[in-house]
Amino acid sequence: MDVKVLGSGCSNCRTTIALIEQVAKARGVPIELQKVEDLQQIMSFGVMSTPGVVIDGKVVHAGGVPGREKIESWLAGAPA
Amino acid sequence: MSAVPAQAPDRRVELGKAREVCPTLTRREAGEGALVVDVRERDEIARVAFDLPEVVVMPMSELERRHGELPRDRDLIMVCAVGERSLKATYFLMYHGHDRVANMEGGIAKWVRKGFPVRGDASAAVAVPAEGCCGEVKPAASNVGCCGA
Repeated sequence: MDVKVLGSGCSNCRTTIALIEQVAKARGVPIELQKVEDLQQIMSFGVMSTPGVVIDGKVVHAGGVPGREKIESWLAGAPA
Repeated sequence: MSAVPAQAPDRRVELGKAREVCPTLTRREAGEGALVVDVRERDEIARVAFDLPEVVVMPMSELERRHGELPRDRDLIMVCAVGERSLKATYFLMYHGHDRVANMEGGIAKWVRKGFPVRGDASAAVAVPAEGCCGEVKPAASNVGCCGA
Protein backbone atom coordinates (compact mmCIF):
# COMPACT_ATOMS: atom_id res chain seq x y z
CA MET A 1 0.00 0.00 0.00
CA ASP A 2 1.42 3.31 -1.10
CA VAL A 3 0.74 6.12 1.39
CA LYS A 4 1.71 9.73 0.89
CA VAL A 5 1.34 12.42 3.54
CA LEU A 6 1.18 15.86 1.99
CA GLY A 7 2.30 18.76 4.14
CA SER A 8 4.91 21.36 4.79
CA GLY A 9 6.37 19.58 7.80
CA CYS A 10 4.09 21.21 10.38
CA SER A 11 3.33 19.45 13.65
CA ASN A 12 -0.01 18.11 12.36
CA CYS A 13 1.82 16.54 9.44
CA ARG A 14 4.33 14.87 11.73
CA THR A 15 1.53 13.62 13.98
CA THR A 16 -0.33 12.23 10.98
CA ILE A 17 2.74 10.34 9.81
CA ALA A 18 3.33 8.92 13.28
CA LEU A 19 -0.30 7.82 13.61
CA ILE A 20 -0.34 6.08 10.25
CA GLU A 21 2.89 4.30 11.10
CA GLN A 22 1.48 3.21 14.47
CA VAL A 23 -1.77 1.89 13.02
CA ALA A 24 -0.02 0.10 10.17
CA LYS A 25 2.37 -1.55 12.58
CA ALA A 26 -0.43 -2.53 14.98
CA ARG A 27 -2.42 -4.12 12.15
CA GLY A 28 0.61 -5.65 10.50
CA VAL A 29 -0.08 -3.86 7.26
CA PRO A 30 2.98 -3.23 5.13
CA ILE A 31 2.95 0.31 3.82
CA GLU A 32 5.29 2.45 1.85
CA LEU A 33 5.04 5.87 3.48
CA GLN A 34 6.29 8.95 1.75
CA LYS A 35 6.38 12.52 3.01
CA VAL A 36 5.63 15.08 0.32
CA GLU A 37 6.75 18.52 1.45
CA ASP A 38 7.32 20.29 -1.86
CA LEU A 39 4.48 22.75 -2.50
CA GLN A 40 4.38 22.08 -6.23
CA GLN A 41 4.04 18.34 -5.58
CA ILE A 42 1.44 18.87 -2.84
CA MET A 43 -0.63 21.09 -5.07
CA SER A 44 -0.46 18.54 -7.90
CA PHE A 45 -3.05 16.65 -5.84
CA GLY A 46 -5.24 19.77 -5.60
CA VAL A 47 -5.07 19.75 -1.82
CA MET A 48 -5.41 23.16 -0.18
CA SER A 49 -5.56 22.09 3.45
CA THR A 50 -2.81 19.99 4.89
CA PRO A 51 -1.98 17.46 6.04
CA GLY A 52 -3.37 15.55 3.12
CA VAL A 53 -3.25 11.80 2.81
CA VAL A 54 -3.07 9.95 -0.49
CA ILE A 55 -3.49 6.20 -0.60
CA ASP A 56 -2.62 4.35 -3.76
CA GLY A 57 -2.95 7.59 -5.70
CA LYS A 58 -6.29 8.69 -4.27
CA VAL A 59 -6.74 11.63 -1.92
CA VAL A 60 -8.57 10.26 1.12
CA HIS A 61 -8.08 13.13 3.54
CA ALA A 62 -7.27 16.84 3.61
CA GLY A 63 -6.95 19.15 6.60
CA GLY A 64 -6.30 18.26 10.20
CA VAL A 65 -4.97 15.13 11.86
CA PRO A 66 -7.07 12.11 10.82
CA GLY A 67 -8.57 10.00 13.59
CA ARG A 68 -7.23 6.55 14.34
CA GLU A 69 -10.51 4.93 13.28
CA LYS A 70 -10.30 6.63 9.93
CA ILE A 71 -6.75 5.43 9.41
CA GLU A 72 -7.80 1.92 10.37
CA SER A 73 -10.55 2.03 7.77
CA TRP A 74 -8.03 3.07 5.10
CA LEU A 75 -5.76 0.21 5.97
CA ALA A 76 -8.54 -2.34 6.45
CA GLY A 77 -8.59 -3.42 2.83
CA ALA A 78 -4.86 -3.89 2.55
CA PRO A 79 -3.36 -7.38 2.48
CA ALA A 80 -1.31 -8.05 5.61
CA MET B 1 -12.82 18.81 9.41
CA SER B 2 -10.65 15.74 9.00
CA ALA B 3 -12.57 14.75 5.96
CA VAL B 4 -12.12 14.87 2.26
CA PRO B 5 -13.29 18.30 1.15
CA ALA B 6 -16.56 18.63 -0.73
CA GLN B 7 -14.66 19.36 -3.91
CA ALA B 8 -12.27 16.51 -3.35
CA PRO B 9 -9.65 16.22 -6.04
CA ASP B 10 -9.93 12.90 -7.78
CA ARG B 11 -6.77 12.99 -9.78
CA ARG B 12 -3.18 14.07 -9.74
CA VAL B 13 -2.23 16.73 -12.22
CA GLU B 14 1.37 17.19 -13.27
CA LEU B 15 2.05 20.86 -12.62
CA GLY B 16 4.87 22.87 -14.11
CA LYS B 17 6.72 25.42 -12.06
CA ALA B 18 4.59 28.45 -11.30
CA ARG B 19 5.46 31.67 -13.05
CA GLU B 20 6.73 34.23 -10.56
CA VAL B 21 6.79 37.97 -11.15
CA CYS B 22 8.26 40.81 -9.12
CA PRO B 23 6.22 43.80 -7.90
CA THR B 24 7.61 45.99 -10.68
CA LEU B 25 6.44 43.58 -13.38
CA THR B 26 3.14 43.10 -11.56
CA ARG B 27 2.51 46.82 -11.63
CA ARG B 28 3.34 46.98 -15.32
CA GLU B 29 1.21 43.96 -16.24
CA ALA B 30 -1.71 45.23 -14.15
CA GLY B 31 -1.54 48.40 -16.21
CA GLU B 32 -1.70 46.29 -19.33
CA GLY B 33 -4.81 44.37 -18.31
CA ALA B 34 -3.69 41.68 -15.89
CA LEU B 35 -6.01 41.13 -12.96
CA VAL B 36 -4.46 41.23 -9.49
CA VAL B 37 -6.05 38.76 -7.05
CA ASP B 38 -5.38 39.38 -3.37
CA VAL B 39 -5.68 36.17 -1.34
CA ARG B 40 -5.05 37.73 2.07
CA GLU B 41 -7.87 37.58 4.59
CA ARG B 42 -10.24 40.52 4.77
CA ASP B 43 -8.95 41.86 8.08
CA GLU B 44 -5.45 42.03 6.62
CA ILE B 45 -6.70 43.87 3.56
CA ALA B 46 -8.62 46.30 5.77
CA ARG B 47 -5.31 47.33 7.33
CA VAL B 48 -3.40 47.83 4.12
CA ALA B 49 -4.36 47.22 0.51
CA PHE B 50 -2.74 47.45 -2.89
CA ASP B 51 -3.58 50.78 -4.47
CA LEU B 52 -4.37 49.58 -7.96
CA PRO B 53 -7.35 50.41 -10.15
CA GLU B 54 -8.60 46.83 -10.07
CA VAL B 55 -7.95 44.19 -7.44
CA VAL B 56 -10.10 41.13 -6.80
CA VAL B 57 -10.31 40.13 -3.16
CA MET B 58 -10.47 36.37 -2.84
CA PRO B 59 -9.05 35.24 0.52
CA MET B 60 -7.52 31.79 0.79
CA SER B 61 -10.41 30.83 3.04
CA GLU B 62 -12.78 31.47 0.10
CA LEU B 63 -10.66 30.33 -2.82
CA GLU B 64 -11.84 26.73 -3.00
CA ARG B 65 -15.45 27.86 -3.06
CA ARG B 66 -15.05 30.90 -5.32
CA HIS B 67 -12.23 30.17 -7.75
CA GLY B 68 -14.78 29.63 -10.52
CA GLU B 69 -15.46 33.37 -10.45
CA LEU B 70 -11.99 34.13 -11.76
CA PRO B 71 -11.70 34.75 -15.48
CA ARG B 72 -9.74 32.39 -17.67
CA ASP B 73 -9.34 34.85 -20.50
CA ARG B 74 -7.17 37.30 -18.56
CA ASP B 75 -3.76 37.10 -16.99
CA LEU B 76 -4.06 36.67 -13.23
CA ILE B 77 -1.43 37.74 -10.72
CA MET B 78 -1.89 36.29 -7.27
CA VAL B 79 -0.71 38.41 -4.33
CA CYS B 80 -0.60 38.11 -0.55
CA ALA B 81 1.53 39.28 2.38
CA VAL B 82 4.90 37.77 1.52
CA GLY B 83 4.21 35.62 -1.52
CA GLU B 84 3.70 32.22 0.08
CA ARG B 85 -0.07 31.90 0.24
CA SER B 86 -0.32 33.39 -3.22
CA LEU B 87 2.12 30.80 -4.55
CA LYS B 88 -0.13 28.09 -3.14
CA ALA B 89 -3.13 29.82 -4.71
CA THR B 90 -1.28 29.99 -8.02
CA TYR B 91 -0.69 26.25 -8.01
CA PHE B 92 -4.30 25.66 -6.95
CA LEU B 93 -5.55 27.58 -9.98
CA MET B 94 -3.06 25.77 -12.21
CA TYR B 95 -4.46 22.50 -10.87
CA HIS B 96 -7.89 23.71 -11.92
CA GLY B 97 -6.74 24.47 -15.43
CA HIS B 98 -5.79 28.13 -15.32
CA ASP B 99 -2.84 28.65 -17.63
CA ARG B 100 -2.62 32.43 -17.38
CA VAL B 101 -1.71 32.75 -13.72
CA ALA B 102 1.40 33.98 -11.95
CA ASN B 103 2.52 34.61 -8.40
CA MET B 104 3.90 37.95 -7.23
CA GLU B 105 6.94 37.06 -5.15
CA GLY B 106 7.52 39.04 -1.97
CA GLY B 107 3.90 40.02 -1.49
CA ILE B 108 2.72 43.40 -0.29
CA ALA B 109 5.76 43.62 1.98
CA LYS B 110 8.04 43.81 -1.05
CA TRP B 111 5.56 46.04 -2.86
CA VAL B 112 5.81 48.54 0.00
CA ARG B 113 9.60 48.27 0.14
CA LYS B 114 9.63 49.20 -3.54
CA GLY B 115 7.70 52.35 -2.65
CA PHE B 116 4.63 51.33 -4.62
CA PRO B 117 1.28 52.77 -3.54
CA VAL B 118 -0.96 51.24 -0.91
CA ARG B 119 -4.13 52.30 0.86
CA GLY B 120 -4.01 52.18 4.63
CA ASP B 121 -1.14 51.64 6.99
CA ALA B 122 1.96 50.75 4.98
CA SER B 123 3.78 49.73 8.15
CA ALA B 124 1.24 46.91 8.55
CA ALA B 125 2.50 45.43 5.29
CA VAL B 126 6.02 44.89 6.50
CA ALA B 127 5.22 43.85 10.07
CA VAL B 128 5.26 40.07 10.12
CA PRO B 129 3.52 38.56 13.16
CA ALA B 130 5.37 35.80 14.99
CA GLU B 131 2.32 33.58 14.75
CA GLY B 132 1.79 32.30 11.24
CA CYS B 133 0.09 29.67 9.21
CA CYS B 134 1.98 27.33 6.93
CA GLY B 135 4.96 29.59 7.35
CA GLU B 136 2.93 32.57 6.24
CA VAL B 137 1.36 35.58 7.87
CA LYS B 138 -2.13 34.55 8.89
CA PRO B 139 -3.67 36.77 11.53
CA ALA B 140 -7.22 36.08 10.40
CA ALA B 141 -9.72 34.48 12.73
CA SER B 142 -10.66 31.84 10.21
CA ASN B 143 -8.37 28.90 9.75
CA VAL B 144 -10.20 27.48 6.78
CA GLY B 145 -7.76 26.75 4.02
CA CYS B 146 -4.82 26.96 6.37
CA CYS B 147 -2.57 24.02 7.10
CA GLY B 148 -4.08 21.90 9.79
CA ALA B 149 -7.49 23.42 9.21
